[in-house]
Amino acid sequence: MARNKPSSTLRILSRCVLLNMLAGLLIAAPAAALDGNEILLRVDRNLQPESYEMYRKLINIEPDGSKKEYVLYTVKKGREKMVALFLAPASEKGRATLRLGENMWLYIPSVGRPIRITSLQSVVGGVFNNSDILRLDYSAEYEAAVDDETEENYILACTAKTASVAYDRLKMTVEKKAMVPLTIECYAASGMLIKTLYYKKIKDFGDNLVRPSVLETDSPLYKGYKSVMLYAKVTSKKLADEVFTLNYLPRVNELR
Amino acid sequence: MIKGFYRISTVTLAALYLLLFSLNRGSLAAEEFSFDVEEFESKAFEWGGYAEIKLEHIDLNSESTFYALNFYNDPRGTIDRYSGTLQLDVGYKKGIGAFNGLLHAEARHDDSGGSDAVDIYEANLSLKPLPFFTTDLGKRTFRWGTGYAWNPVGFIDRPKDPDNPEEALEGYIAAGVDLIKSFNRPLQTIALTTVAIPVYEHVNEDFGESGYMNVAAKLYLLYRDTDIDLVLFSGNSRSLRYGVDFSRNLTTNFEIHGEYAYLTDLKQKYLGPSGVLEGRDPSVGKYLFGLRYLTENDITTIIEYYHNGAGFSPEELTAFYQLVEDADAHLTDTGSDHLIQNAKTVSGKGYNSPNLGRNYLYSKINQKDPFDILYLTPGLITIVNLDDRSYSISPEILYTGFTNWELRLRYTFLNGGTFTEFAEKLNKNKLELRLRYHF
Repeated sequence: MARNKPSSTLRILSRCVLLNMLAGLLIAAPAAALDGNEILLRVDRNLQPESYEMYRKLINIEPDGSKKEYVLYTVKKGREKMVALFLAPASEKGRATLRLGENMWLYIPSVGRPIRITSLQSVVGGVFNNSDILRLDYSAEYEAAVDDETEENYILACTAKTASVAYDRLKMTVEKKAMVPLTIECYAASGMLIKTLYYKKIKDFGDNLVRPSVLETDSPLYKGYKSVMLYAKVTSKKLADEVFTLNYLPRVNELR
Repeated sequence: MIKGFYRISTVTLAALYLLLFSLNRGSLAAEEFSFDVEEFESKAFEWGGYAEIKLEHIDLNSESTFYALNFYNDPRGTIDRYSGTLQLDVGYKKGIGAFNGLLHAEARHDDSGGSDAVDIYEANLSLKPLPFFTTDLGKRTFRWGTGYAWNPVGFIDRPKDPDNPEEALEGYIAAGVDLIKSFNRPLQTIALTTVAIPVYEHVNEDFGESGYMNVAAKLYLLYRDTDIDLVLFSGNSRSLRYGVDFSRNLTTNFEIHGEYAYLTDLKQKYLGPSGVLEGRDPSVGKYLFGLRYLTENDITTIIEYYHNGAGFSPEELTAFYQLVEDADAHLTDTGSDHLIQNAKTVSGKGYNSPNLGRNYLYSKINQKDPFDILYLTPGLITIVNLDDRSYSISPEILYTGFTNWELRLRYTFLNGGTFTEFAEKLNKNKLELRLRYHF
């Protein structure tokens, strides 16, 4: 037994050294070693926690400069469950949208029964469509490959996993340091550019979440129009699966 | 009469005041690019609603059945009507409890006088001790079914107005329990809603036969990306009925839906071959199939086919129209209106209800932001009675460019051959301007 002591200590020491070396290698490993899907996963985790709530303001800006604003309270769980409740303007207040994977519904209080909507529609008008407003994790919808790389950025070529995803292809520029997207060009299956998303103003939301606080978009299909999304109070929140059901939509406000 | 007019004026003026006040406020709103999230923190008490002014010009169809019934002693060619509406939505939440109320006040005035009404559409207390369990007590609107214009499985709903299917409806006093459970695929969600609806003196009297407690249940399944509802109603106020509905997106821009309902032992009055009201209690099926399709240039099309097994046959409708025509001829010949009064009684036995036929086709086509004009939505609504080929067509323009404002201009044109549903309605056409402000 006494002879075993030094050998077990040695074993432990050698394991620690190995682990430290491995950890050191991982930390020091050039980011280029990551493949596209790993980068996309990191982007998702850096943009939002696994389960969270947040407030967003959407602003549609017309060519003459006039604006229309919407405020949404949003909760998300996992990769495929998301609910957004309209808090303003008054004409939209109480409306709620639910997304479960590829399924989307809109609940309008006066209509009562939630109706199915499509990802290409827009419940707010303007350049953002429903899939932008109820965006799932990018890695849930796309396969990514590193198309190009500069000193500061990765250029990812993302291809939709299924035909039901709103955009067939994405060209995503990811900042290496913060591992968050800077621009995303969204293409239709025909190769037509549908819109470009611009992530801006990186901000510390607390709880180790540092991410862009502004998302802008424009589209060659809406010349002169621009839409902006401002993020606030992005915080982790534990949520029951039952929150993400049609029956719960009339009660989403009670989560706040 | 003076008191009634005063009330009309009060509601209309209140609506007008809110409209004007908000217009002024809207124009002064600062156009800053900021987000003060504290402004939207959750509050225990919240309220909102809308104020509305509506102007209508109606050209009456003096050759029609319902003109003969309603204006035989007061002939006129047109009706100009203005109305004001206030709808107030209040909510209070504390802990696991929440109260929701919806108040609807409407006043209207036209060439023949005025009317007003204040109704509590909803007043409901709910308790949610657990995310998967909710219990409700009070007045609620249910809106079961997946159809847009009609809902055959809406066993505990008031029927929608197919011309305005998205408007709020008055609920019924009920007690209910809602259970939800989420799973992994392929069955993602299962939810059971059970509702008890009492029908007694002064409680839900217009629901059905008084003196009974009724039960309705809906089992919802989200199975392989398809919404499925199994619906049941049992009680003595209305006959036993059950049904099923579904809804599914086939692609990102194409949705299909359908409903089937079987209603047992309906108590109906109808005009028999001898021109006398007779009774029957058939068991009938009602069903609906529909689709919603969105094109790349934002044109949304909703098409629904509706079979109303409880509707009147073309022969029964013809018998009714003939009865009224004979009564009108009798009035002209003799000056006596007793046959007209008799026909009005028959009319009240179901012949004056909307969409009283058996087979209908509904379509609604609208385009958001055509010609790059944001917030403008022109649309066209068509309802066709497939049995007699009569129809109504309603082109409309909706503009929502000013925050919280909604302006809708709609023209409705009705047409059909002699003794057909839409040709025998009161109106030949209607022009409607609706201005609504949400607060």
